[in-house]
Amino acid sequence: MEGKVAIVGFRMMSAPDLVTSRERLTFELTRGLLDDLGIDRVDVDTTIIDSNDFLDGRTISNVFLDGPAGAYLRDESKVEMDGVNAVIYACMRILSGQYRTAMVVALGLTGSQVSPYLHIEYALSAHYDRQTRLLNELNSAALQARVYLAKYGYSEELLDEIAAQALGNAALDPYQARRISGVGKDEVAASAYYYEPLRELHCYPPTDGGCAMLLASEERARELTDKPVWVLGMGRSIETFYIGERDLAASPSTAQAAERAYAMAGVKNPGAEVDLAEISALFAHQEPLLAEAMGLLEEGKAEEAYRSGDTSVAGKIPLNPSGGALGGHPICASGLIRVAQAVRQLRGEAGENQVGKAEIAVAHGQDGLCAQQNAVLVLGV
Amino acid sequence: MGATEEAFITPAIPMDFTYNYRIGLYMTRYLEGFKERKIMGSRCSGCRKIAVPPRKYCGVCNKIMDEFVELPQEGTLENFTVGHVVLEKGRLNPAENPYLLGLVRLDENASLLLARVEGLDPAEARPGMRVKAVWKDQVEGDYGDLDHFAPA
Repeated sequence: MEGKVAIVGFRMMSAPDLVTSRERLTFELTRGLLDDLGIDRVDVDTTIIDSNDFLDGRTISNVFLDGPAGAYLRDESKVEMDGVNAVIYACMRILSGQYRTAMVVALGLTGSQVSPYLHIEYALSAHYDRQTRLLNELNSAALQARVYLAKYGYSEELLDEIAAQALGNAALDPYQARRISGVGKDEVAASAYYYEPLRELHCYPPTDGGCAMLLASEERARELTDKPVWVLGMGRSIETFYIGERDLAASPSTAQAAERAYAMAGVKNPGAEVDLAEISALFAHQEPLLAEAMGLLEEGKAEEAYRSGDTSVAGKIPLNPSGGALGGHPICASGLIRVAQAVRQLRGEAGENQVGKAEIAVAHGQDGLCAQQNAVLVLGV
Repeated sequence: MGATEEAFITPAIPMDFTYNYRIGLYMTRYLEGFKERKIMGSRCSGCRKIAVPPRKYCGVCNKIMDEFVELPQEGTLENFTVGHVVLEKGRLNPAENPYLLGLVRLDENASLLLARVEGLDPAEARPGMRVKAVWKDQVEGDYGDLDHFAPA
């Protein structure tokens, strides 16, 4: 793309219960980030608030957040999808030439204040699925998991291995909400079934969380940080809502979004060129499924990849070195946190989960039933 | 009340209002079909695929699905899950007994229909099994008329 956009900083936090209000969380994240960067709110040209009206329990959920976000009497607008979409929006605004800096702040308090499952329950077709009362987020994910395992002849044990790797990484990450140490595949396999083949520890936990991120044009970024992380490519795509019309074992929308992002970034062979990926896999099976769609894992080789350690922090293609969404999934903020985690890696600041070579990363976000809508970013240093 | 900074409140103006949705001609035809124990779908004028329940627009072709077709009562169990929980209004509760939910293909060109599957030990379910529609004794054009599927 013409012109460059960088991520210059972020603040994030998540927990099962942050014991906070929406306003305080927004203020602590954005004011904290401004202080980290040594700037003030007037240095932010546009603010994008990412939250969900339904989960917030009020229409126009940004209506009280201009003050805490520092957007009073400033250019402000809102995104109500996963945070990766908000980053794409911020990049587009900066690339328009009208803005040199953009603040993105996303939050979801689905650990303490509202059930995360309502989000999808009330996204279902009002004149069919909400009448038959058969379909929900968890059983649709289970149907997707079963058909994905069946496609390649994988056993359910693969789900335990994926979750054990993710939870092991999450336990070492100070920003994650679900930090439980000593959970191996046996402990995952001992957790209760929700809908077969998905067990509790194959699924994301209800989470409070938020993330603020400042993006800037190249010139402004170089003034604000010595460690800019460049947005090299971006793409998104949506497929149908109707799961009875989808091949749930694949994600063509993720493949298309990734293809567009790679083309912008000049990535020709993602499997070889990408150093790590932060993927919004809300359920264990989605991690290899989405990684395959993004060309990061060879189709049909997921068992080998996980068992050989290729997907681990020290492996050939580390997937979710932070632990991903199995370590925490605050709706709306979730994908933005994936981006921030990729930034930590690219800056060499990922602590115990730091991967060896981290120059090109992929960050992914999703919305809807069985990842109906997907957004992909390619980031680099 | 011992109010603290961290106390929760439930708004005195709660979100307990009602939305009214028009179900449209296609869903009306589907439910009318139930009165005669018929399962109706709509066929796309472009790709010829059948949506069940019927819908007016085909996303793939962006064309009108302008033909109603009656689907067979028997089909194939293509995919399934065994539920150990029930999810209601955002709350997860244990199910009394494990139960089967299946995706059923009634015609090779038709979309998969999600339904309960009964008369089968959940542990015995296999993709490819033949299943048939089981109706309520009294049908009245309601969503619940098509009660479940059972082994054919």
